[in-house]
Amino acid sequence: MASNASSASSSLRGLARYALVAAFVVVFAIFSAIAPAFLSGANLLSVLVNNFALLAIVAIAMTFAVAAGGIDLSVGTAIDFASFAFVSLVLAGQPIPLAILGGLAGGTLVGVFNALLISGIGISPFLATLGTLFVGRSAQQLLTNGGNPVYLPPSGVPEAFRFLGHGTLAGIPVPLVLAFAVILGTYLILSHTRFGRVVLATGIQASVVRYSGIALSRYTALTYVLVSAIAAIVGLIVTSTVTVYIPSSGNAFLLNAIGATFIGTTLDPHGRPNIPGTVLGVLLLSIVANGLLLSGLNFYWQQVATGLLIFFVLAIGFANRKAASRA
Amino acid sequence: MSVDAAHLSTALSAPVRHETGATKTATGAFGRRLAVLALRQGSMAVFIGVLVYFSIAAPYFFTVGNIGNVLGQSAIAGVLAIGLTIVIIAGGSNVVTGGIDLSLAANMGLSAAVYASLLQAGQGDAVAIIGALGTGLVIGAINAAAITLAGIVPLLATLAVMNVVAGLELVLTQNTVVPASSDFLSAVSASGPFGIPVLAYVLLGFAALVAALVQYTPLGLRLYAVGEFPEAARAAGLRVKLFISGAFLASGLCGGFAGILSVSYLSGSTTGAGDMLLPVVVTALLGTVFSRRLVPTIGGTLLATLFVSSLINGFQLLNISSTLVSGVQGLLILLVVSATTLLQRKGNQ
Repeated sequence: MASNASSASSSLRGLARYALVAAFVVVFAIFSAIAPAFLSGANLLSVLVNNFALLAIVAIAMTFAVAAGGIDLSVGTAIDFASFAFVSLVLAGQPIPLAILGGLAGGTLVGVFNALLISGIGISPFLATLGTLFVGRSAQQLLTNGGNPVYLPPSGVPEAFRFLGHGTLAGIPVPLVLAFAVILGTYLILSHTRFGRVVLATGIQASVVRYSGIALSRYTALTYVLVSAIAAIVGLIVTSTVTVYIPSSGNAFLLNAIGATFIGTTLDPHGRPNIPGTVLGVLLLSIVANGLLLSGLNFYWQQVATGLLIFFVLAIGFANRKAASRA
Repeated sequence: MSVDAAHLSTALSAPVRHETGATKTATGAFGRRLAVLALRQGSMAVFIGVLVYFSIAAPYFFTVGNIGNVLGQSAIAGVLAIGLTIVIIAGGSNVVTGGIDLSLAANMGLSAAVYASLLQAGQGDAVAIIGALGTGLVIGAINAAAITLAGIVPLLATLAVMNVVAGLELVLTQNTVVPASSDFLSAVSASGPFGIPVLAYVLLGFAALVAALVQYTPLGLRLYAVGEFPEAARAAGLRVKLFISGAFLASGLCGGFAGILSVSYLSGSTTGAGDMLLPVVVTALLGTVFSRRLVPTIGGTLLATLFVSSLINGFQLLNISSTLVSGVQGLLILLVVSATTLLQRKGNQ
């Protein structure tokens, strides 16, 4: 669809790409003007640590699934399972490094289940991960006597446990370091490895990948395992920050992660999911959440305003892309 | 329940596995037909098997009063699932690019809040009904415009609308319960003839009406054509976008209608309507196995709604933890789509 694009349509596509950047600049300028505290260094850092880092990691995971032509509705389940395994191992007195590995494994298990359903049986990713979401919710309720949070006693929490959520590396908060590592790592994987190229090609035209003699199902399986493994990192950070595991709490990230990923697609000339776009999408959502909070707008109106902003960015992005493909 | 799940899995997978081994010749086509038959009959058999099991294990289950309760408790989810089914029929079964309406549950919440708030403001039931249905219709119109005019894929358009609508509900109610009572609301939530709740009759009547429209009129046939073969439908002169817009308007209206039922059932608007979304999506998708050609139908969706409600009800009567319900729903959807996927994969080869 890109090959026969005329110069007129590519300039229109250029416009579509500016929608996200323009929205970002405008929102940033508005908040700087109406809420003086917004532009302070301390506030911007808190935006990055509290709003940006966690959502960025989940949204990057989601971007992988969407780039491969699918979607993963069970990222929240992976977060929860990681959190549950982490907390349980710490409560059982295991050393922190082992508990971290166990947590990652717990989250990745969700991805293995998805991979079996999607690659093994061939269920569409939406339905497979929707099923996983439900089964996962029920499993967590069974594991926790009907959905009771699992607290870590404040006295018994080792200092190392708090490192992921509260620690710093070279003066930079650990969640932010992890987010940047994930962003950089996934960017390199998608753009510089064979695996990344196959994932992107699968999202554009899966049949071509299959006809090229590539073992598509193996790559798809790996994609969904990777998505859960990345999401599991968030489970560890959240648990380390709040020292409690709350069943099915990870789903709170789901809709924003999908939103950020698809807002990010407007940045790409061909409307494909991409890491920089997703990061910009997450940044936009983060500063909107923070700016609305500082502006003192009624909490409930904040949700309306955020929803409207996402809606209009998507509308402009898609309308421009449609105009471009018609030209 | 595990017995029934195991029964379902063997009922579904045995013929499918046999079929996978078959060649891609006439035998394959025959095997496929056999498997479709097994899947359809299998799901009905499981439904009936579950009903029989509950009736034996909990004698109260199979009484007119309890069946009426199950129907009445299904009304709100059923109306929403029927609305979603219309969208899935018109949009095609690809859930990402095709028909899906994630704003339905939030729509119900806002419509219910509008209804309750209008009553609180001293308006009559007539005004409140118009307000609730109008709210649903406006939400449907915004979805339709975003999808057909701006070209946003339904999954995202309705996701964004869902966020806005859920926010508006919070603004309107300040996240509190708005109580509402009127003669009309009491009449709807009361018991009707034979001691069966009026809501049960409402659900059956509504389903019959929509089923008549969708399954037995040229309009409905065109709706299926638009969803399954948009290119062919366009070539045949159907205005595809008009049909898709209509489907989202209808779905919005269902959201408003469900809002009214929910105000009546709960004597007011409540928070947390969004929790209904995923169960409703699962129900609508589950409905396809209760149809003859494994396509979304109104009747199939109604059966799926009743199936899920019977499960919840039976679990309550047997004192089984209700937390298992979402797990069973998840397993059901996975079993069902596994079986249909294996069938379709075979059919496409």
